Amino acid sequence: MKTALSIAKNKLALQSREKGKRAAELIVANKKLAYQNKEKGKRAAELIIANKELAFQNKEKGKRAAELIVANKELAFQNKEKEKKAAKLIVANKELAYQNKEKGKRAAELIIANKELAFQNKEKGKRAAELIIANKELAFQNREKEKKAAKLIVANKELAFQNKEKGKRAAELIIANKELAFQNKEKGKRAAELIIANKELAYQNKEKEKRAAELLIANEDLTTFTYVSSHDLQEPLRKIKNFVTVLLAEEEKNLSPEGKNYLQRTNHIAKRMQDLIEDLLVYARAKSGDQKFEKTDLSKIVGEVIADYDETIKDKRAIISCNGFCFARIIRFQFSQVINNLIGNSLKFSKPKIQPEIQIKFEIKSGAEIKSKNKKTANFDALVPKINYCHMIYTDNGIGFDPQYKDRIFEVFQRLHSKEEFHGTGMGLAICKRIIENHKGIITADSELGKGSRFDVYFPIA
Amino acid sequence: MLYPTETSEAELLRIMLADDDQDDRFFFNKALHKLDLKYLLTTAEDGEQLMDFLNQNVQDLPHVLFLDLNMPRKNGSECLKEIRQNKLLETLPVIIYSTSLHRDIADELYKNGAHYYIKKCDFDPLLKIISKALKLLTINTLQPSRDNFILS
Repeated sequence: MKTALSIAKNKLALQSREKGKRAAELIVANKKLAYQNKEKGKRAAELIIANKELAFQNKEKGKRAAELIVANKELAFQNKEKEKKAAKLIVANKELAYQNKEKGKRAAELIIANKELAFQNKEKGKRAAELIIANKELAFQNREKEKKAAKLIVANKELAFQNKEKGKRAAELIIANKELAFQNKEKGKRAAELIIANKELAYQNKEKEKRAAELLIANEDLTTFTYVSSHDLQEPLRKIKNFVTVLLAEEEKNLSPEGKNYLQRTNHIAKRMQDLIEDLLVYARAKSGDQKFEKTDLSKIVGEVIADYDETIKDKRAIISCNGFCFARIIRFQFSQVINNLIGNSLKFSKPKIQPEIQIKFEIKSGAEIKSKNKKTANFDALVPKINYCHMIYTDNGIGFDPQYKDRIFEVFQRLHSKEEFHGTGMGLAICKRIIENHKGIITADSELGKGSRFDVYFPIA
Repeated sequence: MLYPTETSEAELLRIMLADDDQDDRFFFNKALHKLDLKYLLTTAEDGEQLMDFLNQNVQDLPHVLFLDLNMPRKNGSECLKEIRQNKLLETLPVIIYSTSLHRDIADELYKNGAHYYIKKCDFDPLLKIISKALKLLTINTLQPSRDNFILS
């Protein structure tokens, strides 16, 4: 019961509170209605004004309707006109439809043509691509040609300059040419003269050559003859001597002293003839015999010859000295002969009661040097300036000879003394000269009576 | 040994000379005669005669042959070659005996087996040289060295 009471109490409290709130709310609504009332009054005033405005507008709309009727009439006329125009447009439409159709056909044709063009276009595209490549190539070539052209321009300028120079030079040459042409002509004349002179000389030359060839043959013949005859002449001579010897030996008892003397003289003469023939043989052989040149120590040859004369040197107490040193390409036995003949002469033609002295000296000199020292003597022309020669200086203290004979003593069979004074063949120095000439050398002699002799011998060392 | 020890005919020194020159044969014989020598000289006048004689007397050959070079029909050089190529004659001592003397020819003859070379000369020296040659052969019948080939 208490709970029901409290709930009623609470309900009464709550209703009381709700009546309070309803009264408050009524007051607010009252106030709001008063405000709305007032507003409606304002609105009514505004509506009176708007009414007046509308009345005016009504009046205006009447005017306007009248105007519209006029306008309507006008529009009806216009409508009629438009219908006429529409009819015309229908005709025009039909025409356009036909044209349209035609244009359709044409369009189809154009499509085909278009396709063709598209194909051609494509082809041209390809071609264009190719052309582009070709173009690039050409462009490259073009560039290269331009470079080249640039170089050529430079070269051209150079050539142009040279051309100009040559032009100048050509002008000079023309002048020179004219001069030369003149000289040429002169020389031509001279040449013609020389040709004639030449022919003459050629003829003379030929004749001389023939003559020389003949002389050469004659010379060889002579040498051969000398050699062969010398050899064969010795044979009967040897036999004559032998028979004399046998005769003297076996028939001595039967011979008178005079007969013996004659036989001895015969033998002596035969011996002399043997010597002459022997020397002639040596002389002939100097140019026709064994021509074996070999490198030889000349002082050694001198030594050998001295040894051969050993006995005579001892007898005469001769002094022989050899100085200097020379190796030369020579024919050994021929050179030996030269030294032999010179020493033989010195020992033979020594002064009585005076100790013979022989000095041999070797020096090496160039042809030019020898020539410059012997300018006056013509036969030195034969020496070759550039090659080296051995110069053998041979001197003795013998009886010497008159210098006027210094050439003659080298001739065949020339003697300056009687056979009784000095025996000999007169061939010794001729043989020396021939041998030295065979060695392409020169031999000269110098002396004064009673003052010894000097021989200068020159020959190539190689 | 060339010299016979006894004077019987079998032991005479048999010397042969081949030379076409009558005078030279005469001088050669004279020279031998002057030497103190028991000898028997046989001569041939040309090379053919020489070879015929040698071939017919192979059992009884001369002790030494003096051989001239320049002879008709067959020269000395040819004879020398034939002698050296013949087994029956090859040991025969040969001395060249000539008027000429050339180095090349002498070399050739030495090569072909000649023992000595004598150049014909005046009588007195000839005598000495022949004697020398015979004495040398008495000592040795073999070929000497080239240096001793030419006698003078």
